[in-house]
Amino acid sequence: MTIADVVKILDGKLMAGDGTSPRVVGAVVANDLMSDVLLYDADDILLLTSLASDQAIRTAHIVGAMGVVVHNAKPLSETMLKVANDLGIPLVSSPLSKYDACVRLHDAFLAEERA
Amino acid sequence: MGDEYNPTILQGQHTNDDEILAKTPLDEKALGGDSSVIIMELLQRFKVRDVMKRQVLCISRRATLREAQALMRENRISGLPVSENGRLYGIVSVNDIIKGLDGGWMNDVCEDHMATNLVVLEAGMPLAFALRYFNNYTYGRFPVLDSNRQLVGIISQRDVMRALLYELSVEIRKLERKTRQMQPQEEKKEEHYFRKEWAVVRNDLSRAGHAANDIKGILRERKIDRTVVRRVAVAAYELEINICIHSHGGVMVLLITDDDVTVTAKDRGPGIPDIEWACRDGTSTANDWIRSLGFGAGMGLSNSKRVSDKFDIQSEVGKFTKVQCVFSIPKKEE
Repeated sequence: MTIADVVKILDGKLMAGDGTSPRVVGAVVANDLMSDVLLYDADDILLLTSLASDQAIRTAHIVGAMGVVVHNAKPLSETMLKVANDLGIPLVSSPLSKYDACVRLHDAFLAEERA
Repeated sequence: MGDEYNPTILQGQHTNDDEILAKTPLDEKALGGDSSVIIMELLQRFKVRDVMKRQVLCISRRATLREAQALMRENRISGLPVSENGRLYGIVSVNDIIKGLDGGWMNDVCEDHMATNLVVLEAGMPLAFALRYFNNYTYGRFPVLDSNRQLVGIISQRDVMRALLYELSVEIRKLERKTRQMQPQEEKKEEHYFRKEWAVVRNDLSRAGHAANDIKGILRERKIDRTVVRRVAVAAYELEINICIHSHGGVMVLLITDDDVTVTAKDRGPGIPDIEWACRDGTSTANDWIRSLGFGAGMGLSNSKRVSDKFDIQSEVGKFTKVQCVFSIPKKEE
């Protein structure tokens, strides 16, 4: 599942970064507390968060995340988009709630496994 | 230079030796003009007698050229002194044999066809003299006479080279020993390090994390183990956020050596009254504003400590807090 797949699955829109990145999702972390996110020791994390701030992008960069999804269609600031572009982190905005976004991603992983 | 040694010519002058000496005023010429002090000293210290071969294969004046040829072939030599009772009369060379074969006089005696214009060396001459002779005459060897004009040896360029090489190796060994003694017993390991600082401004969350992101980039460029990079970045990020939200401002310092990475966060500020309490998970003095930005859950110090190999914190209430995290760099396998 690449970032392009994530955009489709979550009815999202790519707001910054490279939407054609070949990196695939290794793990999904849904969290609004950045210190918690820093504790995850997994590769290619997709970060789902309602924290629409630069710190969500910077945290994603620190843990080597492959992308960030901000749910509930929260408005994203220009500086957040700039930081995402500067650090090369694809940033997606999704209208779904955190719960719905997680369910859709879970279903998509199951479908991938079956296929 | 020992000019008391006049070149000795037997039975007739082959070349004007004054001319030879004038052409080669210095022995450096024979050695290419740029000889070392050691070589010059060796050439003066060593005498022809030290280097020459003492067993000289000779033939008598009455022996035939054919006998001379057989002797030269058996012993693989290209010149044969003609000598009787220590007195040198001449030399039969390969050239004389070829002429004899061509002219059909191989059964003639050596005395009739030997070269008599001989250039000889004296046993007491410095080796420099021999070298000069080899440089100025085309002969491959010279007979050596003692002070009584008796044939005592023969010297070739190969003999000179062998002796010089041997003595040079002795001198070089001495020099190597001296050099070793002059060097310090244990060379101090050259230290390579990289250091960079970032200022962190109080409450400027738009910039917070900038240093940590830079630090991650620097470590990745240096191809440091990726798990170490991640741990360093996590600690740096937490400490940077701490300075930003809890202190009056401070500085982040990155130090990379061959062995480890150190991140130091030092701030001016309120300090920490109870360090042990502050390092526990979930304890925080953060306000709602900080929490609304995704921090202030009381994980910063404990997270930094968790990922570090060495962790040190010092603080003085009302003055400062200094946190240092050290990460060992695993040695790359050869």
